[in-house]
Amino acid sequence: MRLGYLHFSRFPAQRRVIEVPALAGKPFVLEEEVRSARRVACASTSALKAGVRPGMTLTAASALEPSLQHFPYKAEDELRALTSLGEALMCVTPAFQRSAPDGLWFDASAAHLFGGEEGLCQRALEVCAGHGYRGRAVVASELFTSRVLARHGTRPVQVVPEGGGARALAPLPLSALEGPECEPFAALGLGTLGEVAALPAGAVAARGGAAGLRAHTLCRGGDDTPFVAAVLEEVLEERMTLDWPAESFEPLQFALKTLLDRLCARLAGRRRAAVRLSFMLKLDPTGQVELPLTLARPSARAKLLLDLARHQLSELRLENPVAGLSVRVEEHNEDRGQQLALGDTPEGDAALEVVLSRLATTLGEESLFSASLEAVHRPEQAYVARAFRPPPSSRGMAGELLPQEPVEVPVEEALRERPSRLLEQPATLDAEVADSGELLAAWLLGKRRRVMAMAGPERLSGEWWAPEPYSRDYYRVHFEGMGPAWVFRDARDGRFYLQGLFD
Amino acid sequence: MSATAEQRSGAVVEQLRERIRQLQAAPRSYLATLRTGVEEVDALLPSGGFPLGQAVELCGDAASGRTSLALRAVAAAHRERRLCAWVDGPKELYPPAAAAMGVELSRLLIVRPQQPAQLAWTAVQLARSGAFACVVLDLTQGLAAGASGGKSSGLRLSLAEGKKLADAAFRGGSLLLLLSSPTAPADGVTRIRTESLGPEGLAVEVVRSRQGGLGTRAVLEWSSLYPALGPEGEEAPLLAGEAPSNEELVPDFYRGRSWERRNACGILGQRPGRDAAMPSFRSRLGTGTAPR
Repeated sequence: MRLGYLHFSRFPAQRRVIEVPALAGKPFVLEEEVRSARRVACASTSALKAGVRPGMTLTAASALEPSLQHFPYKAEDELRALTSLGEALMCVTPAFQRSAPDGLWFDASAAHLFGGEEGLCQRALEVCAGHGYRGRAVVASELFTSRVLARHGTRPVQVVPEGGGARALAPLPLSALEGPECEPFAALGLGTLGEVAALPAGAVAARGGAAGLRAHTLCRGGDDTPFVAAVLEEVLEERMTLDWPAESFEPLQFALKTLLDRLCARLAGRRRAAVRLSFMLKLDPTGQVELPLTLARPSARAKLLLDLARHQLSELRLENPVAGLSVRVEEHNEDRGQQLALGDTPEGDAALEVVLSRLATTLGEESLFSASLEAVHRPEQAYVARAFRPPPSSRGMAGELLPQEPVEVPVEEALRERPSRLLEQPATLDAEVADSGELLAAWLLGKRRRVMAMAGPERLSGEWWAPEPYSRDYYRVHFEGMGPAWVFRDARDGRFYLQGLFD
Repeated sequence: MSATAEQRSGAVVEQLRERIRQLQAAPRSYLATLRTGVEEVDALLPSGGFPLGQAVELCGDAASGRTSLALRAVAAAHRERRLCAWVDGPKELYPPAAAAMGVELSRLLIVRPQQPAQLAWTAVQLARSGAFACVVLDLTQGLAAGASGGKSSGLRLSLAEGKKLADAAFRGGSLLLLLSSPTAPADGVTRIRTESLGPEGLAVEVVRSRQGGLGTRAVLEWSSLYPALGPEGEEAPLLAGEAPSNEELVPDFYRGRSWERRNACGILGQRPGRDAAMPSFRSRLGTGTAPR
């Protein structure tokens, strides 16, 4: 099996800069508590230039670089970021395995789709660069070979042929073994992995035992550790606890960006697009607020989702400060991408999403809808409200040149005789009726109006099986000074009701 | 691949390139007007239809054809696969009728704000976004108030709101149609007055316009807006004797239950427990022994 390894040098520092772009080029460290002392876990490039080294105490580091900023190092967060990056890579590889804290193995069996293993490495690095990470990629046949070459090699992309592990590993320094195994070899005066591999296996086993033999095998390119693919989580959820409770929107915005970036990377890797999301704000000390977000068009673009979330959250008034945040994708569907026509710009969709989100926040979700016809004869129930999800299509620049496509809207014939305005609840008509039952006049819009003409009846009846059956005789009535009105006589009480206007 | 096949695919690619070049070189013609499809009305408007990027007011009494004209403009936008929005103040738009006029319901966003004060704000947001080719703002008060005898006046926009709406339509490049009543006119750049002339038809008149056509008037029949209704003139108004009597109106299920009329007999008229047993369905259902 061919395996690739992606190594991101100082992954936590890279991640920090992606989250807070203002930190780029500035000296900062991530510190952790080791035996009640705060020590540097990872340092940025400019901090390293100032002489700061991992393992140093924070006091010593600050003394070297007075403008040094420091942030807590959370191994769990790093692992989550690494996982989301791995899931984003699922568009080029069928499986990945985490190698905490700063690397990933991936299955290189799909290399033929990218023009060979080198092409696969390039593509994987491009995907990572799309998420802001820089790294090195190596493809080899063993886990150890690929990992060590990526970590200690110098080339951004390297492909080790089958059986060529020992040769590729030979020039690497002994410290690449990264463990207590290298000490006995160092004591013997050996400097490279090639020198270790040249030792006779029997002698190494006799003097170094099982551990020594294992290190020797690794150096000869004989690693037999199996590749264990990471299990994908079914639920697409990302959460984060803030360093301190946020009382304004500003700190929340950074957390939101991080979470949505990760979530969208995971969605993109699975070729899915979010349809419905929910934001959960954990308040300090108690309480939580849940905010749903439904998209008119499914999307996996972090920037758009961040814009929408900003609209939802920026005008929120909360009683307590926010201590934590989680975002969950409640519903997702296949991401078919966006097919733009010649001359189309993707900004139109973003504008639609933003305005819908703004309206939904202010007016409430239930105020926005698109109608869908129902096969029901009772006129006021002939349609239902649905979420507004317009079909994505545009004629774009070629619009005028393409042949006009006839738009066929299958509509029932009866609907052509329906008024454009309809009352949800029919209103009783203040009518003057002759003894014979004829409608003579009605009191409408503040005036007594005579009936000028009348057409009908059209009888609608049904639902005899339900508790409230109906039977109505509909007429189109021209009242004086008005267009046609849709009036019916209800068989239950024989009264006239106004239901609509042919406006 | 043989040499001929290569040549052929090369020629196809060259043809496609040429086609793309043509498409890119052609000046992009934007959708500039929305035609109602009613020739008389389109002829009244200086640009041959409702111009995009402007606020046009359709002002008229109840049942004077405002809504159907607006729906026809929406249908014209839908034919170009553009989105439209309807800010429905009185909550009376009837989508099935809209669908019958050619409106594609999946592309029509209907917004029904709870507060009347939110109507103008909503329309401004929708028009300014540029995502909708046509935004209709219905400012009329609605039938519910009118039917009960109250005076239907509708919502009156302030001067500032009117300016904001016009500005939003201009910025977003969308057509903003304001449906209003004569007692509470809105501040549209172009105002078209619709008036019902009774069963004969309706009149449409341009009463305010900066692009000419002021004072032009057209009279059209109701059947031009609602083709299925047919010309009303041919349909004689019902007289007293022709209207169905009250007795005829009552459907069967109100008059009496069927089993009561059959006097509690079975569906074949047999009396329960006295006549012969019900015929067996077993052989028909296929569970009985089939004849060999």
